[in-house]
Amino acid sequence: MPHSVIRTASLTKKYGRVVGVSGLDLEVESGEVFGFLGPNGAGKTTAIRLLMGMLRPTAGRAEVFGLDTWRQSVAVREKVGYLPGDAALYDRMTGEQHVRFVASFSAARGVEDNGRALAERLELDLGRKVGDCSKGMRQKLAIVLAIMKMPPLLIMDEPTNALDPRAQKLLYDILNELRGEQTTVLFSSHNLPEVERIADRVGILRSGNLAGTKRIEDLREMRLRNVEVIFEGGVPGGIGLESIPGVSDVTRLGNRISLKLKGDINPLLKAVARYDVADFSVAHASLADAFLEFYAPAGHAGDDAGGGGP
Amino acid sequence: MNRNVFDKTVLERWRPTLVYVVGLHAYMLMLTAVYPTFRRMLETKAELFKDYPKALLQLFGVQSIDTASFSNYITIELLGFVWVIIIAAYVIAFARQMVAGEVHDGTLELLMAQPVARWKLLTSEGLALLGGIAVLVVSTVFGIIAYGAIFASGTGLNYSGCAAFIPVGISLAAAVAGYSVLFSVLFNDPRRAVMASVGLTLFFYLLHFAASYSGVLEKIDWFGIFHYYNPLKVLDSGRVPVKSVLVLLAFAAVGFGASVWFFQRKDLK
Repeated sequence: MPHSVIRTASLTKKYGRVVGVSGLDLEVESGEVFGFLGPNGAGKTTAIRLLMGMLRPTAGRAEVFGLDTWRQSVAVREKVGYLPGDAALYDRMTGEQHVRFVASFSAARGVEDNGRALAERLELDLGRKVGDCSKGMRQKLAIVLAIMKMPPLLIMDEPTNALDPRAQKLLYDILNELRGEQTTVLFSSHNLPEVERIADRVGILRSGNLAGTKRIEDLREMRLRNVEVIFEGGVPGGIGLESIPGVSDVTRLGNRISLKLKGDINPLLKAVARYDVADFSVAHASLADAFLEFYAPAGHAGDDAGGGGP
Repeated sequence: MNRNVFDKTVLERWRPTLVYVVGLHAYMLMLTAVYPTFRRMLETKAELFKDYPKALLQLFGVQSIDTASFSNYITIELLGFVWVIIIAAYVIAFARQMVAGEVHDGTLELLMAQPVARWKLLTSEGLALLGGIAVLVVSTVFGIIAYGAIFASGTGLNYSGCAAFIPVGISLAAAVAGYSVLFSVLFNDPRRAVMASVGLTLFFYLLHFAASYSGVLEKIDWFGIFHYYNPLKVLDSGRVPVKSVLVLLAFAAVGFGASVWFFQRKDLK
């Protein structure tokens, strides 16, 4: 039976007049991969730092495994692997020294070996000093340090920052394996294909507020379709496609009509089938389009806007 | 204390500490090597020193004028001024990196991701700083004794005075460390932390200098750390000024205690 690993209630963080996060209500269940989406400055990093006990909430509370993230932050961090957004490491230390340093905080056995195995898998040379490493290599090392103790909860802020496509794929593979081992993952991203690829559920932050949470399959279902219909001998008069639910942006050019469709396609098919159709094509819009639709100004947010469970 | 954080801090700082030790020894070697020449010169110009303003001599920690004394020479040329600058620079640079530097470099997030309490983190780094201070102070005393034996033998170097300087030197540096760590915690910008630490150290030093001119300032000088630092007296008497050491350690404890208090409540942005 799944239980909440992360739970926040009216979680708020203000810096003077500036709102970092406002009234965040969120639940992430055990074994779930949850993606935090939102543009820069939306409050993703602030929310994550509140969960890690690095920031003190102005109001509300956050719990991880039932532990208060501010007052019991040490106990929380025992159970969490954390990848900061702009992972900074010690320039004078080698990758191996970093692995040993971070492993020394864990009581579990084999953490250093896990680190070395992960580094090998990510094609990372642990013998080099961090100061001599590229940004991508530093990011790989930071990923190794976050994952190597095999924590029950992994919190990652923009995990694929600075990673090349091959390293990104390797990370996705590792995260998929962790999903199989019932590791709960919360990560932030503004990379929609990345979220689509690894997340079960997504929360969208906008100006410090959670605009809503959606299952990835629900987002896919509400995807926009780009439809093009070519009629024999020209577009029939009075076809009235604009009145069909979910149809928008209808444009006519010669004997063809192009439009956008959201939701059920059957009413459109029935309307078009009354005429002689030369061709009918449907192109699925990307998740990005669905996100942009979902990420519309307040009042047009998702179905379960305001957070809560799935 | 957390051993892992302590070891990491030592690993990060042993090289700068070594540079300070080598630099200090190079300076001490040069000083003591020219001491025999200076001694002859000073003996012929003793009258000149007697005309120096009392406050200026006090600035360098010299009360009595005995130009033949190696203790006086080493106090004027090293312990009264240059050594204070070197040790303060070391302590302030170390303290700067403890919190403000780590925030600036972004590495504090890596540390704070580990299951270690904030007070333990700061205490572990503080103990590494104390270790570095001890290395510098003991190394200084060792240098004075060793180079003094080579270049200034027969000038009455008081070995028990040198040993007594160790707790005095450590407690003075610890007092500087107390408020320097506090500024490192309070300011996220390392430059501001350094400026505040240097500014306060300079203020205490100039206050001590000015105190000899004014009765009012003399009373205020009790609140400054240099009122409790008299290297010549320690070298000559061979006794540890327990009260002064305790006051300096109290400065350190208050500064560090406040640092922990603020660090426990600090938002790590």
